[in-house]
Amino acid sequence: MKAKYLILILFFASLVSCTKKFEEFNTDVKNPAAVPGEALFSKAEMSLVDQTVTPDVNLNVFKLISQYWTETTYTDEANYNIVNRTIPDDIFQQYFVGNVSKQGGFLEDFKEAARLIGLENPPTPADDAAKTNKLAIIELLNVYSFQNLVDIFGNVPYSQALDITKIAPVYDDAATIYQDLLTRIDAALGNLDATSASFGSADIIYGGDVSKWIKFANSLKLKIGITLSDVNPTLAQSTVQAAVSGGVFTSSDDDAVLLYPGGIHSNPIWSLVVQNGRDDFVPANTVIDLMNSLSDPRRSFYFTLVDTSSEQGVVKLAFSGGIYGKSNPFTKYSHINPLISSPTFPGTLLSYEEVLFYEAEASARSFSVGGTQRDFYDAAITASILSWGGTPDQAAAYIAQPSVAYATATGTWQQKIGTQAYIALYNRGLEGWTEWRRLDFPIFNMPPSITDYSQIPKRFTYPVNEQTLNKTNYASASSAIGGDLQSTRIFWDKF
Amino acid sequence: MTRQLILHILIKLVRMCDELKIKFMKKLLISLVLAVVACGSTLLAQTKVITGTVSSSVPGEGPVIGAAARLKGTSIGVLTDVNGKYSITVPQNSTTLEFSFVGMKTQEVEIAGRAVVDVVLETAIQGLQEVVVTALGISREKKSLGYATQSVSNDAVTSVKTDNFVNTLSGKLAGVDIKANGNMGGSTNIIIRGAKSLTGNNQALFVVDGVPIDNAITNNEGELTGRSGYDYGNTASDINPDDIESIDVLKGAAASALYGARAANGVIMITTKKGSYQPGKSVGVTLSSNVTFGVYDKSTFPKYQQSYGAGYGPFYSDGAHPGLEHYVDVNKDGVIDYTVPFYEDASFGEKFDPNLLVYQFDAFVPESPNYGKATPWVAGANGPGSFFQTAVSTTNSIDITGGSEKTTFRVGYTNLNQTGILPNSLLTKNSVTLNGTYNILKNLKVTAFANYINDTGKGRNQTGYNDNVMGSFRQWFEVNVDINMLKYLFNQTGQNVTWNRKTYNNPTPNYWDSPYWVRYKNYETDGRNRLIGYTQADYKVTDWFSLMGRVSVDEYSELQEERKAVGSVAGEFGVGRPTVTSGYSRLTRNYLETNADFMATFKKDITSNLNINGLLGSNVRRQKIDQVFESTNNGLSVPDVYALSNSVDPMAPPEELLSKIGLNGYFASVSLGYHNMLYLDGTYRVDQSSTLPKNSWTYQYPSVSGSFLFSELVKQNWLSLGKLRLNYAEVGNDAPFASVLDTYVPVAPFTGNPLVTVPNTKNNANLKPERTKSVEAGLEMNFFKNRLGFDLALYKSNTVDQILPVTVSYATGYAAKFVNAGEIQNKGVELKFTVTPLKFSGFQWDLTANWTRNRNEVVSLEQGIENLQLASLQGGVTINARVGEPYGTIQGTDYVFLNGQRVVGPDGYYLQSPTSDVVLGNINPKWKGGIQNVFSYKNVSLSFLIDAQKGGSIFSLDQYYGQATGIYPTTVFTNDLGNPVRNPVIGNPTDGYDPASGGVILKGVFADGTPNNIRVAANDYRLFGYYANPNSAFVYDASYVKLREVVLTYNFPKALIARASIAGASLSFVGSNLWILHKNLPYADPEASQSGGNIQGWQTGTLPAVRNYGFSLKVQF
Repeated sequence: MKAKYLILILFFASLVSCTKKFEEFNTDVKNPAAVPGEALFSKAEMSLVDQTVTPDVNLNVFKLISQYWTETTYTDEANYNIVNRTIPDDIFQQYFVGNVSKQGGFLEDFKEAARLIGLENPPTPADDAAKTNKLAIIELLNVYSFQNLVDIFGNVPYSQALDITKIAPVYDDAATIYQDLLTRIDAALGNLDATSASFGSADIIYGGDVSKWIKFANSLKLKIGITLSDVNPTLAQSTVQAAVSGGVFTSSDDDAVLLYPGGIHSNPIWSLVVQNGRDDFVPANTVIDLMNSLSDPRRSFYFTLVDTSSEQGVVKLAFSGGIYGKSNPFTKYSHINPLISSPTFPGTLLSYEEVLFYEAEASARSFSVGGTQRDFYDAAITASILSWGGTPDQAAAYIAQPSVAYATATGTWQQKIGTQAYIALYNRGLEGWTEWRRLDFPIFNMPPSITDYSQIPKRFTYPVNEQTLNKTNYASASSAIGGDLQSTRIFWDKF
Repeated sequence: MTRQLILHILIKLVRMCDELKIKFMKKLLISLVLAVVACGSTLLAQTKVITGTVSSSVPGEGPVIGAAARLKGTSIGVLTDVNGKYSITVPQNSTTLEFSFVGMKTQEVEIAGRAVVDVVLETAIQGLQEVVVTALGISREKKSLGYATQSVSNDAVTSVKTDNFVNTLSGKLAGVDIKANGNMGGSTNIIIRGAKSLTGNNQALFVVDGVPIDNAITNNEGELTGRSGYDYGNTASDINPDDIESIDVLKGAAASALYGARAANGVIMITTKKGSYQPGKSVGVTLSSNVTFGVYDKSTFPKYQQSYGAGYGPFYSDGAHPGLEHYVDVNKDGVIDYTVPFYEDASFGEKFDPNLLVYQFDAFVPESPNYGKATPWVAGANGPGSFFQTAVSTTNSIDITGGSEKTTFRVGYTNLNQTGILPNSLLTKNSVTLNGTYNILKNLKVTAFANYINDTGKGRNQTGYNDNVMGSFRQWFEVNVDINMLKYLFNQTGQNVTWNRKTYNNPTPNYWDSPYWVRYKNYETDGRNRLIGYTQADYKVTDWFSLMGRVSVDEYSELQEERKAVGSVAGEFGVGRPTVTSGYSRLTRNYLETNADFMATFKKDITSNLNINGLLGSNVRRQKIDQVFESTNNGLSVPDVYALSNSVDPMAPPEELLSKIGLNGYFASVSLGYHNMLYLDGTYRVDQSSTLPKNSWTYQYPSVSGSFLFSELVKQNWLSLGKLRLNYAEVGNDAPFASVLDTYVPVAPFTGNPLVTVPNTKNNANLKPERTKSVEAGLEMNFFKNRLGFDLALYKSNTVDQILPVTVSYATGYAAKFVNAGEIQNKGVELKFTVTPLKFSGFQWDLTANWTRNRNEVVSLEQGIENLQLASLQGGVTINARVGEPYGTIQGTDYVFLNGQRVVGPDGYYLQSPTSDVVLGNINPKWKGGIQNVFSYKNVSLSFLIDAQKGGSIFSLDQYYGQATGIYPTTVFTNDLGNPVRNPVIGNPTDGYDPASGGVILKGVFADGTPNNIRVAANDYRLFGYYANPNSAFVYDASYVKLREVVLTYNFPKALIARASIAGASLSFVGSNLWILHKNLPYADPEASQSGGNIQGWQTGTLPAVRNYGFSLKVQF
């Protein structure tokens, strides 16, 4: 009998050692616990470009907001309803966290990449210089991203953002964020060393070419500076001039673009326009009517021709845009050109022609940028036409038209530059909307949902999520900017 | 061994002698017996044989077959034969026999020198001696328990056969909220005493013979949140109801403290049927056969308006018929023809007119009888209702039991075949169970159990917003479409001939495939092979001390394959849910759980009035889930080849999960009984769980309970039972797998560069166990020999320090963070009431009623957080845990009110609240109840069950969109001016409206308080549905009253069947879900949802409810 009790005791005793493997059990072996910062950086670069170029109405609705495109059947977004689909929530999520399918979230990935790279102890001075370059490059893309967030929402979480110990971060003043972004660019510029290496091939935009990043830094600085020109002309001027003298993009080769390889990593425009088989979007009459009036050669790259004849047996091909905000039968209007919806169409963050338009504007504002407004204006239009595949002759002929020529085109410099920048930024929804907000041209159409031109959104309302999860800070940010409304202007949008 | 055999033979011979009255022979034999006995030391001393008949107290039932007669306190026992007769050999000095039978009160009878002991067993209605199965499979006398349990017998789950026996428990148990969602083979929610976990599992634990059984819902995130996908059911549905002897429900934490954390949600304890030894009969065979037919319940499917056809409004052309397109000369006669705006999936188009000839979708398909023909513009002759077919379900089972003196065995086999109401759907289930016991030694018994299950599914119904035929029928449809034409054209062409083609000359589907294409080409298949088994040894060391050891395994492999044929509408599909037009995906899931249990029990009478029961045990559990989900990328290269290798682009990395969980539990329990009147129980458990950080992975929790049988004190004839009970318990709980350490998530490489990203949820290395604290009081009283009785329970449970991924501002870089935070409280009342109102000359009426009211409140979340979003669903509606509200609030936009009146904007449409976090309802019912009536008269019995839910809310995405697409009759009516509401609005508020104007003036006021005077048009999608109305307009009360079950049984008279060597036979008419007597949700079943789980209160494209009726035949040999 005693032996049996002994067995019992031994049995219980044996259990004590059973927790040995517990830590091993609770390890998620299908996912890495340690990774190189470079892999996070590559992913973040890709996600940033994805988010910038996607026309997914849930994630990036700016091609509709800026009236480049309109919708066919379901016209909520073209009528500036961004609440039904909680689009602001999705934008926040894309920038900060990523969505359920584990895409996006580039700000957190940049932050983690910088943390991991910062922890490295490079064995050689050359590696150390590369490390410094890497951290500076990450900074530039952080600045780029936060400028977008400010341009969309106004005040946003910034100084306390990306810190999981602060689950309800405060919102920072938008103008203050802009100032800080400039400080960060200058710091990065100070650290970038073109003679040293950086990410190499892990940098899927510039292949680790630091000299390109220096140009990117100055061009981004130019973009931020020019955006400030109405609200803070002094700072705008010094920033713009410093940027230009520091060396901005000098050709389309400098463009910050991601070359999509296709397949899993295809341009998101292809996914949304071709792959999903839906006919949700057509180019809007806002941009097509404008370009038709100027006989713009870029139409054949932007759109397709459609038969607009109402006569039996007569074909009349033309570029015809869907009526902005109305229900538009898909077959009746021009479609998005297959060039743009190709799986390997490059995704652009910042381009040469964009820089030239900023320089034209700077010149118009009498900033010293080494050229006349007309020179930059002509160069910008030419660069745009060429980059889309047009010829120098087409560009020259186009600029020679009185309706386009800087001297004779209608209106103020704001109208001239605004109109041409708007056309050139066709595939860059957010920038197109920003140029319209800053320069107030071209004149947009009013969708059926609004009765007054002033109701066209000047900003996006904050995410619903923030109203519930970050209530206090949401409330103070709302009152600080003058109300969480689509009609509230971003701080730089004075006019 | 030999000795026992000899003894047995000798005893048999003695009995023969008795019968033959050969006295001298008998004497000789008895002396031989004594000699043999003397050789051994422990076996029978002098023996005697007792015979008798066991019969039922229920009139007409007669003898009880298979009742157990046992010598009290020993393992000596026999079963009664077909005539209810038994014969047992017992030691000469034996005093008490114990008679028991399932569903009847166990009775102890003093032998008092008799040789013949006849017994009449009474039906057990909460009888004093009722035995219930409690945690770990331990049987306890119900009177001694200080907590609520409720039992149902095999009948409750086998009278009406379904593919998921859990559904048949609906309405039969107090405190148990069962919600069958109506999907074919779908998952059923079973929640006991309210949801306790904010984000974790709230389903009850299923235990078979003491062995926990996995009850996973493997549906993916996209399915659970109503995007698209299939409901693959809950895996506890594998349990074969024919194997079930009885079910005991342990409701509170005290009842389940010994099981540990997993039982905090309550336990469904299943006791399987066992074999038995009947002298003179080696094998008993039962056959049962069941066939049921299912037809869809029309009250749960849309009615369609019959006046307007395809389109969103009168804007497709100019002229007399602006709702139709007028651009093409189809028949080349030089005149432009009318065509349908095919691409629109709505019915706000042109008014029907049989004299108007229109080229419809079938005019452009060469195989169509209407090819090249314009047809009258009328509502489709056969609406979507004609898509459904009659479901047929057959269940056949055989049950073989038998044994010898040392062994018992049972073999059960059941086959189920079920076609659904949708074309091309089939579920099959095969279950084989083997169960055996062997008394190796007189005090050592070994039990082995094995259950092999094979399930297959094909063509389950699609769920969710996308790619769901029901979604089209309920939300997006053209009522001019004739379903039978779609069927004809699919059969003729085998192609995706849809009503929703892009244009007259482009047959590509725009938003919706042909429903027949979807059913026959885009179907899923699935299968699961499962083995559940255990081996148990019971060793009785002494008469007061026993040891039990058990090793069990629950293992299955499952394959879910989904298809999207080339030529389908693009939809979310496969890994990462990209939108593609074709594809193939497969999920393989391997599950393994092993449990090793060891238990020592002792039982001692300290004095004659004070006894003690003790238990010391351990449980070692290991669980492993190995799951891979992979899919083709960007479509199928070769049509109709469903292979991963047929991917157009290289495959995206699969989603893999390898989860391992280990748990060691040690527990002790002591119970004291005093005078059979006062009982006190205490339990204590220590768990070690691998899912917690090392410094907190050991945690302890106690429970204490007591019961007081005051009827023993009062001793009144009218009071059969009076019992008060009280308990307090705590249960600790561990964390989900891998929520302690952070990892990264790899993404498909980009031109050779590895990509990784930070996951959305931040783990926490400082987690500690969560804890449920509960207190319960109960009163149980039976009167007048148990003809009337009730069982009342009051309980309160608080689950604190919950481990949950609390949602945080996205600006943190994460969507959620694991924390210990939050508290949910459940308070409730349960009442079970039984009465036999009538009982005379063969007639009896029994009534059982259950009523439950649970009040659930989210007491707190993480500090500073008022709301935890559980799911964000289509339509901008969220399901949430909000502080101060019940778990599962439905939130969205509401109307804007001014002095109680709805406010309209300057355009005359209702304004909507600026934010979408207004609480519009919650998923919890106010109360639930069921009433079961059983009428029996001689050989016939009739039972019916009415099941009701009061309250609870549900958001209908079907109405949200379906009203906007104009398919429902509510979008066609005569307005205040006496005109069809869809007529154009003529006039304006300033000059007044024409008497012929359509449209409506919405009831409400402008922001300044003046009454609305703007007439808004009702001839486009804006007025009725989602566009100009807040979410609250589509939140409905989920109350219902249902006639859940009807069973009419005829038992063939024994005299009639005995000649055919049949021991018993019955024929039943069975019906389930026959009639929804009351509901407030239009055109749908308020119980329906996309899946089981925590995300409820939201409905889209659900299958209609199915009314089942059929026959069941049962024969015993």
